[in-house]
Amino acid sequence: MVSSNANALGVIFANSYDNLVPELVAERTMASIPFAGRYRMIDFTLSNMANSGVDNVSIIVRKNYHSLMDHLGAGREWDLTRKRGGLNIIPPFAERSVKMYSGRVDALASVLSWLSAQKERYVILSDSHIAMNFNFNKLLEAHIESGADVSMVYNRTEIPDGARNDNYTIRIDANGRVTELLSNDYRPGMQNLSMNIYVIERESLIQLVRDAAVRGLVYFERDILARNLSLLNVRAYEFTGYSARLADMKSYFDENMRLLQPGNVEQLFDAANPIYTKIRDDNPTRYLEGSRVKNCLVADGCVIEGVVENSVLFRGCVVKKGSVVRNCVLMQDSVVEENCSVEYVVTDKNVHITSGKQLCGTDSFPVFVAKNHTV
Amino acid sequence: MAKEMIAMILAGGQGSRLYALTQKLAKPAVPFGGKYRIIDFPLSNCVNSDIDTVGILTQYQPLVLNEYIGNGQPWDLDRLHGGVHVLPPYQQATGSDWYKGTANAIYQNISFIDRYDPQYVIILSGDQICKQDYSDFLRFHKEKNAEFSVAVMEVPWSEASRFGLMVTDNDDRINAFQEKPKEPKSNLASMGIYIFNWDILKAYLIADEADPNSDNDFGKNVIPALLKDGRRMYAYRFSGYWKDVGTISSLWQANMEVLDPSHSGINLFDENWKIYSRNSGQPCQQIGSDADIVNSMVTEGCKINGTVKNSILFPGVVVEKGATVEAAVVMGGTVIKAGATVSHCIVAENVMVEEGATVGKMPEEGLNIAEPGEVATVGSGVKIGKGAVVGPKAMVSNDVKDGEEQW
Repeated sequence: MVSSNANALGVIFANSYDNLVPELVAERTMASIPFAGRYRMIDFTLSNMANSGVDNVSIIVRKNYHSLMDHLGAGREWDLTRKRGGLNIIPPFAERSVKMYSGRVDALASVLSWLSAQKERYVILSDSHIAMNFNFNKLLEAHIESGADVSMVYNRTEIPDGARNDNYTIRIDANGRVTELLSNDYRPGMQNLSMNIYVIERESLIQLVRDAAVRGLVYFERDILARNLSLLNVRAYEFTGYSARLADMKSYFDENMRLLQPGNVEQLFDAANPIYTKIRDDNPTRYLEGSRVKNCLVADGCVIEGVVENSVLFRGCVVKKGSVVRNCVLMQDSVVEENCSVEYVVTDKNVHITSGKQLCGTDSFPVFVAKNHTV
Repeated sequence: MAKEMIAMILAGGQGSRLYALTQKLAKPAVPFGGKYRIIDFPLSNCVNSDIDTVGILTQYQPLVLNEYIGNGQPWDLDRLHGGVHVLPPYQQATGSDWYKGTANAIYQNISFIDRYDPQYVIILSGDQICKQDYSDFLRFHKEKNAEFSVAVMEVPWSEASRFGLMVTDNDDRINAFQEKPKEPKSNLASMGIYIFNWDILKAYLIADEADPNSDNDFGKNVIPALLKDGRRMYAYRFSGYWKDVGTISSLWQANMEVLDPSHSGINLFDENWKIYSRNSGQPCQQIGSDADIVNSMVTEGCKINGTVKNSILFPGVVVEKGATVEAAVVMGGTVIKAGATVSHCIVAENVMVEEGATVGKMPEEGLNIAEPGEVATVGSGVKIGKGAVVGPKAMVSNDVKDGEEQW
């Protein structure tokens, strides 16, 4: 935890990449997708910012943001209920006709007057489709030291299948300067894949967005950065830690499952940089007579009487007698009644699987049951 | 803005019979039931009963309790007007005093209570496990047009002489009070929970303080004085679960009873009467491939890869592969290494049980929650060395070296 506040404000885009996971965002935003048993995606970025002393954070939302607002409240759990700064949610402003943002430039253009009124010298922009434990302070320090106009964060990884039509990769010279920024890269093998986190001086961001908006440009990366790499000094900042990137339903399943491998939870959750979330005051989880639980990540409030293996159980899940749950992700308050067999299934919140049912997906194609549905 | 009723929780108890568990914290701050502390019960009862102003009277080792209560937000008691306040003794113009007795503790905070101008004050104990609707108690108090009411439990006549007893008429009006009498005239035991009309309480507290021979205690002084004056005093019968967890065996017993709500009557899983607590903020529990967990409660931050049976594990407990935990209460941050056996005991926070160590022992006649017998205890921060043995009767508050035995 840092002792002083960072000289940067945070802007988080809650709806970016919604299109990659249509099932999961049917009634929510990318930022409010439940992940890792008791969290939502936004918890990672928001906690990382709070832990880095970035305590003036605005979340730009586009649509379907009720669940996100419910989750965030006044930002208390992240210690962002502040008189100065704190958490601020920015929905589309209904001006004459309600206009939806189509890209980052649009979204930022709509908050220029707010941005101009802030005091922090730097702005950190971030999406919410990646769960990781990230130190924004170090990024900020590196940015200031390098003298760059913009710093952008990337990691070395293969491009996930789901993100092939929606990603940015970069080429970097020996000094760490970005020489090329490619849209929708599909090359196989390890690439420098952008994590869509940027640091820039607030005044220059305002200038760039204003110019771009006037010219009808939409995308910050493609239309501003990529076109101006010779004029703007854009630096690459590599993140080498553990990260979980959501690119489609399959990757959602895989990233939950990957947390079951030894050591991964410890990498994502660093005790020195806790990830905060909304508290639900659940009881501890009860393992009743007859329960057999192996290799699972289990949140509080569950009641388990059956067999559960290789699965992630969110808060308040119930697995009754005689049921077998294997390789599943059961979101909050999912109930599996007696004598069911459930394998390779992702249940959204509050799904009810009635007794005696057999539900089976495969490793490559997990079955998804939408929110509030009864099987 | 006047409040109808505010609560004062007596939380100054040292809990000396819990010795190893209360070296560094007050009894109300002792962890209970997997993710709670004892004080969560009266606090949650208050908010669930719509009482939004609570004073907590502390004086023994208040650090942990103060930090735990904080601004009261976990109990929804961070209020603009009212909320929860921790009230330690303080220096006054006339000098300063520790709280001399239960009545004196309230006396010293008369000005706190007066700020809210309440009609009624409920006096609660910070060291009992009990789910109780205080609004129903108040309804009774008002119905009887009482000046003082006390919550009572019916106890078996054979045990009555261990309690403070209220002798009542057919209308539940109290006409005598017996403190641990040889020949009980009643089997209604006081739970130490009182509702007073504030004007009456205030007058009696001032009179009691003026009496140099008084112990300034509710049971010994204030209640007898009310009786002597023929005040309207009533006994409110409570029949739910109630336990004073003042001893190691009763604390262990109450924890075990949480695992069996249908028989014990203590149901922490009731959505309509939630018990709130401050969250540890740790990630989900990780259950390994070699774990075997039956009839147990496990919470956030735990990493379990051993055998856990009939036990309650608090946040962040680690049970390594090959370790066995049975009929044990294991508090937050404790690590139980490979091959260690921890049974029939209470292990406090942040204890390290090294490889192959043994803590406690299952009774030969098997688990009997009603008659626990011996319960081993390990104090917080203690290290139990490799292969060391902590006997079934032992209460350990210092490190036990490798291979050493302690009985």
